[in-house]
Amino acid sequence: MTAPPPTRAPATASARLPLTPAPSRSWWSRRQRGWAPYVFISPFYVLYGLFLLVPILIGLYLSCTEWAGLGTPRWVGLRNYRDLSGDHSFWTAVANTGLYIVFTLCVVLPASLLIAQALNARGLRGRDLFRLTYFMPVVISPIVITLVFGLFFDTEFGLLNAVGQALFGFGGIDWLGSPGWARVTVVVLVLWRWTGYLTIFFLAGLQNVPKELYEAAALDGAGPISRFRNVTLPSLRPVTAFVAVTVLVSTAQIFDEPFLLAQGGPGESTLSVAMFIFRAGFQRQQLGYAAAAGVLLFVAVFVLGRLAMRLLGVGRDDR
Amino acid sequence: MTTFETTGARAPVRARRSAGRVLLYAFLTALLLVFALPLLWALSSSFKDRSEIFAHPPELLPDPGTLDNYRGLLDGNPFWSWLLISTVVAVISTLASVVLCALAGFAFAKYRFRGKNLLFDIMFSSLAVPFAVIVVPLFIMVAKAHLTTPYFALVVPWVAPAFGIFMMRQFTEQSVPDALLDAARVDGCTEFGLFRRIVLPLLRPALGALGVWSFLNSYNSLLWPLVVVSEPGDYTLPLGIQALFGATGRQYDLVLAGAVLAAVPSLIVFFVLRKQLLEGLTAGAVKS
Repeated sequence: MTAPPPTRAPATASARLPLTPAPSRSWWSRRQRGWAPYVFISPFYVLYGLFLLVPILIGLYLSCTEWAGLGTPRWVGLRNYRDLSGDHSFWTAVANTGLYIVFTLCVVLPASLLIAQALNARGLRGRDLFRLTYFMPVVISPIVITLVFGLFFDTEFGLLNAVGQALFGFGGIDWLGSPGWARVTVVVLVLWRWTGYLTIFFLAGLQNVPKELYEAAALDGAGPISRFRNVTLPSLRPVTAFVAVTVLVSTAQIFDEPFLLAQGGPGESTLSVAMFIFRAGFQRQQLGYAAAAGVLLFVAVFVLGRLAMRLLGVGRDDR
Repeated sequence: MTTFETTGARAPVRARRSAGRVLLYAFLTALLLVFALPLLWALSSSFKDRSEIFAHPPELLPDPGTLDNYRGLLDGNPFWSWLLISTVVAVISTLASVVLCALAGFAFAKYRFRGKNLLFDIMFSSLAVPFAVIVVPLFIMVAKAHLTTPYFALVVPWVAPAFGIFMMRQFTEQSVPDALLDAARVDGCTEFGLFRRIVLPLLRPALGALGVWSFLNSYNSLLWPLVVVSEPGDYTLPLGIQALFGATGRQYDLVLAGAVLAAVPSLIVFFVLRKQLLEGLTAGAVKS
């Protein structure tokens, strides 16, 4: 580094020692350097306060009230929470959301790792074409995707049943009409929409693994499976941790797929917690009840996220 | 020469390897179809008439193709208004969030200041707050303040995403040398001048990445617009298409045309900035 020594001194030091030689810099410019970072980050914290902190506090307050949106909220203490704990729909929503989380962690995540591994093959042609096409579902508006899947999964006329009929002689699966199949359909949509997105994270991670590690392992006589287990997986730990936590937090608030595809139905078989909150708050005008469900979701995501970060060691080598 | 011997010894290995290659390409191509076919199917179906969309057996290509769906969509519905609102909202959010995130990312990457770690942790942990948690109170606040116009409600609360700041911090650390900043300071450059004249130009690829990310986020968002926008005249594209789908009794003809047109801007943005997006998204995750 060729920078002149005085400017290399940290700002705090030069502020404490006014005698530090800094001939070309005025008092004002030194001052400015102390203030500047706070000014630069302030827009975020203003918005953070207004649109995150305040809503959370209001949500906490509302969760202890009964309110339909008009007049003043009526204080009911912890009754909403008590009601939630006995609300069958809420537990259905929790169970469904749990199912979506388990599915993304145990199926979508490994699938994208596998695809990334395939895309990382040495000398692969058309890698960009594959990668971009796999990524495309996430670029396109969920409403568009849902329409497309409607075409596929329509019970009477959908492509899937038509093809099933033609090839295997069965058809007429009530994809979106029977509780079990509706869940399968939602989960298939999640798989289709997010696999390509997660793949690019793993691919970037794989491309960062030093080639020498593989060569050394190959010299030691390790086969492809053992190389994958002993070289690839450990090197991918940071990426995997990042992806797993992201997936956990975002799947815990899944809304688009079950809402658009099946409106949470049939019955409540695909209802997620985020949909439960939306339904209570904006369709049934139980704003306090919705807020209480929101607080519980917050606590759950926070605890799960912390747990996962601890378990996977996210941020351990950060900063 | 030993060529003869080596080829002889390696022949089975090579055969096995080329068999592996065939399998690999078959696997990747099958996946390509899985991801591309549904979209192509929708494209093709948007040129079919109402009865043909669910024809039995299904027709791969429309026969004869018709533009009636597009005509019906554009004539009878304020499609251009939906598109305009969605695009304007997305463009404003993108420009603002790119600047604000770069500014904050620069501060976190290149300054030492009191409380920095704490402030960073607060910022970073806001990523873990589920939107569903704040949706009810936030809606109440915005509605009470009579600010439900899309140009406020769909823009302002989302204009400084923590993910963007984190991403910009990573990039600034990687691509802005301290020496350059110090040299400019010696030349009398102000701190904001450093950002404008040195940091922004150096960050250009990263700005592209963040730009696509926030454009797509805004353009595709559903839950919040669904909650906050109630005037049909203020509908964004997803809301408009959803309303149309309901109004036509869940008929696919018009909405498919709408879906195809709606996908055009996001695909254009994606293809123009694809390299930046894919590399930018992963930069934070794989930094070693």
